[in-house]
Parts: sequence; C-alpha cells; structure tokens
Amino acid sequence: MPRSRRFFNAQNKRELLLPALFLAPALAVLLALSIYPLIYSVTISLQQETAAGISWTLGNFTRLFSDGFFWTAMGHTFVYAVVALTCEFLLGLGLALLLNNQIRGRGFFRASLLVPMMLPTVVVGVVWRLMLNPNFGAVNGTLKQFGIDTESLTWTASPKLAMLSVIAVDVWQWTPFVFLVLLAGLQAIPQEPYEAALIDGSSRWQTFWHVTLPLLKPSILIVLLLRTMDLLRVFDQIFILTEGGPGFATETISLYIYRAAFRFFDFGYAAAMSFVLLALTNVISATYIRLLQGRNA
Amino acid sequence: MRFVILLLALLFALAPVYWMLTISFKTEGEQFASPPPWFVFTPTLEHYYDAFVTRSFGQYLLTSAIVAVTSTALALIIGTLAAYALARFELPLKLNRRLSLWILSTRMFPAIVTAVPLFLMMRDVQLLNTRAALIIVYTAFNLPFVVWMMRGFFADLPRDLEEAALVDGDSRLGALVRVVLPLVAPGLAATAVFCLIVSWNEFLFALVLTQTDAAMTLPVGIAGRVTQYEIKWGVMSAAASVAIVPILVFALALQKYLVRGLSMGAVKG
Repeated sequence: MPRSRRFFNAQNKRELLLPALFLAPALAVLLALSIYPLIYSVTISLQQETAAGISWTLGNFTRLFSDGFFWTAMGHTFVYAVVALTCEFLLGLGLALLLNNQIRGRGFFRASLLVPMMLPTVVVGVVWRLMLNPNFGAVNGTLKQFGIDTESLTWTASPKLAMLSVIAVDVWQWTPFVFLVLLAGLQAIPQEPYEAALIDGSSRWQTFWHVTLPLLKPSILIVLLLRTMDLLRVFDQIFILTEGGPGFATETISLYIYRAAFRFFDFGYAAAMSFVLLALTNVISATYIRLLQGRNA
Repeated sequence: MRFVILLLALLFALAPVYWMLTISFKTEGEQFASPPPWFVFTPTLEHYYDAFVTRSFGQYLLTSAIVAVTSTALALIIGTLAAYALARFELPLKLNRRLSLWILSTRMFPAIVTAVPLFLMMRDVQLLNTRAALIIVYTAFNLPFVVWMMRGFFADLPRDLEEAALVDGDSRLGALVRVVLPLVAPGLAATAVFCLIVSWNEFLFALVLTQTDAAMTLPVGIAGRVTQYEIKWGVMSAAASVAIVPILVFALALQKYLVRGLSMGAVKG
C-alpha cells in the first residue's frame, strides 16, 4: 500500500499534472458537446425574435400551458410508456422464469431472442412497415389465411390501431432486453433460500412471491429504470412507422419537439419543450434510484 | 409445453426479420402475392443491385462505416485515458467519484434535448452535412460509456504489475501502453464493439445533422425512402438487410470476447 500511495496519490500540484492531462481531453469534449449545448438551449429557449430584434422572455415556457398539441403529445408519451413497459416487463419476467430452468438448447434460444434488440431501430421500423402493410404484409396475409376479415385492419394507417401498432413493435424489440437482465438476476440468486422455502413447505406461488421477487428486486428496478428512460424519449421507430400520424395519433413528445425545431424552425419553443422532457426523465430516474438505494441501505 | 412456448417466442422474434429478408430477394410480383409466399419464391438480386449500384446506398454504407469506426477509435483513446486517471490516481476533493458520476450523467439526456442545440451549433460552424459533424457528436455520445466501462476494467486489475514497470523506470504512459492495455484488451474490445453498434444504429442525430447524399448514413438513407409516397419495398428491404450484417458480425465478435473475458476470470480465480 505505501508504494501505491507513492505512485498514485495526487495530493500536491506536481503530481496532479499527469491525471489532469489524462482527463483533459474527455472533459473538454463533454463540456463542449454535452454541457455547452444545454446552455445554448437555455439561451434560445429564453429568447424570442420580435420586430425590434431579439428579446429576453419567458414566452416559450408560458406558451407550453396553452398548447393543446404539447399536452396531447405528453399524453401519448405517457400511454406509450406505461403500456409498453407493463407488457415488456410481464413478458420478459415470464420468459426469464421459464428459461431459468434447465432446458435443452438454452444458449441458442437466448442468442436468437436477442436479435430484435440488436437491430438498428430504423431497420425495426422497416421490418414492421412490411409486416403490417395492409396490402401485402405478412400479418394480414396470415390472418386472411385463417379466414379473418382484414378489411378494417390497416394498423399503422388507422387512427384507432396506430398507437397499438407502435407499442406492439416496441414490445417486440425490447422484451428480449428485459428478459436478458432479469435472467441474469435470477441466475445470481443463491439456492439456500429456495431450500429453506422447500423445508417450510411453501407453495410455488409463495416461494415466488416471498423469495424470488424480493431477491430479484434490484434487477427489476434497474431494468424498469432503463426502459422508462428509453420509452419516454422514443423517436426512431415511430418516425419510421407513422411519422406521428395518422393525423396526430402517435405523436410523442420527442416527435413533437423534432417537428417544432426542424419543420417549423421554432428552435426556442423546441428547446423549452425539451427541458420539460429533461425534467420529467430526471424526476423519474431519481425516484427509481432512491428506491434502489433504499433497498440496499 | 414449456418448449412450445419457447418455440413460439423464437418464431415471434425471428419471423419478422426473416420476412424482410425474403422481400429483399423477391421480384415485385411475388412481393405483393396473396397468400404471402414465406418459403417458395424465385430469388433475385435486382433490389440489391438497384440499391447499391443504381442508387446511392453504397455511399451511405461507406459513410456509416467511416463515421462508426472513426468515432469509436476517438472515444476509446480519449475515454481510456480518462478512465485510467479516474481508476488509478487519488484525486483531491473526492474528484474521482464526482467526475465519474458527472461523466455518466451526461449520457442520460434524452437525445432530442441535445439534438436541437447541436444542430444550431453545427450550423454556426458550418459543419452541417459533413461526416465530421457526426464523428464529433458520436465521439461525445460514446465517451461516457467508454469511461465507465474501462474504469471498471482498470479497477479490477492489480496494481503490482504497473508498479513493477514504474520501478523499472518505465514512464507512466509507457506502463499504461505496454503493461496495462494488453491486460484489459478483452474489455477494450467489448467496449469498442458496443460503441460500433451504437454508432452504426444511431438515427436521430444523423437525421438532424445530415441531409445530403454525400453525408447521410445508412439509417437516414433508408428512412428517407420509407417516408416517400411511392415506396420501393425491395430496395428498402435490401438496404435494411445489409444494415443488419455488421450488427450480426459485431454480436458474434462480442460473444467471443465475453467468453474469453469470463474464462480469464476463471483462470485467475
């Protein structure tokens, strides 16, 4: 240990030079491309162009309250996140519990189930545009073979089914991720508590509820945290599948911000909305992290 | 019973991708056939020719490759140096922990939050529609991940070997390059593969920053075709199928390194 201190302690100025040099490029890049953009964003969100030139104002933020489209997009984001998260979690947990037992060819199953989450989201969009196409898509084609009338099943083109369709695609792509994390969590649980439960004569359901679930809780919270963050910011798949349509039916907050900035060139308003999204994700992630730490304490 | 459920899950995960692959090899007549031909059709390469020779998808492919490889290399170099400093030096003011957490937190912003100002910044310095813009942005995007991963790998490594090299008169950088890096090579490779996948798949920044044929990546090129009125399904599927290939290769490479990393641990323990 004394030798370690000699080589790696950097308490005085001369010894600080080397770690500072090592850290400088990374800190410079992050300051320039993560922190400066945020400051830039704050600035433009507080400015408005008027006839007299640029003036400082809270107008972009007050406008949020009266913009019905913004709140509709928030509602869509919320519905999307809650429904997709619930489905992905239940399916992922079910699959993980199934695959945790010894099964022939488990490695192959595991590798294959991971394919969807590895794909570029744009490719996922293309795949499901093809699958859900009302005229030649495999979904309607298969339904037709079973004698189901597919006339009204236009999926992403239908105002009623569009939201369901984009959520289903998200569930298809990300359930494997939930499954992977929960399976790793299950496999890290030791055998002893199960043996104890067996001796106590607990039913399978009691064992699951009182042994598996509490021990799996950290993995569950982490996977829910990561998924929630991704679901709240969803953009790519919806952009490819529906572009937020038909009409406004699948417009989430990220798509609405994109539209404000890059279709209407209203950068100040887009920046203001993006801070609401940032605040929302921060509050939610802080809540999850508090739950996680509360458990470990 | 359990096996049946698993087979169904497998079918559900893979069939859509398979469907896209068949579309990319079908003539237009067979693409629209009803009932849909899943297995029996006359394969053709016309859509691949159309996409990569007649149209500009070859160029998008090249751009995607250049951007992914360059940004990954930059993020690895810059990130590994920072990670080494955070893992090995005792900095004052609890800076090790504070800087690590701060670096990780920059990765948490929703992409659209930084996409708007980054577009304006790149416009100000006239880097819109250049590969350089994407390389810069992806380097910054991957950096927190590299720092976080590599910091862990360095921390797991015993200090004795480096100290021996330092006592023998090697410089700090020399000890890092000759002694430490070879030991963390599997970790470095896994981190690199992860960065490559993220850069290759990335869509929003590429969409915002590149709109010309000369600068757009494969995902943006594909998306541009999807949202047009008359869609060439074959061309699009061909391009999307090609976009999958590197991902599968990366995934296989990662698997190998994961196994190697694990067995290294087993030998040590």
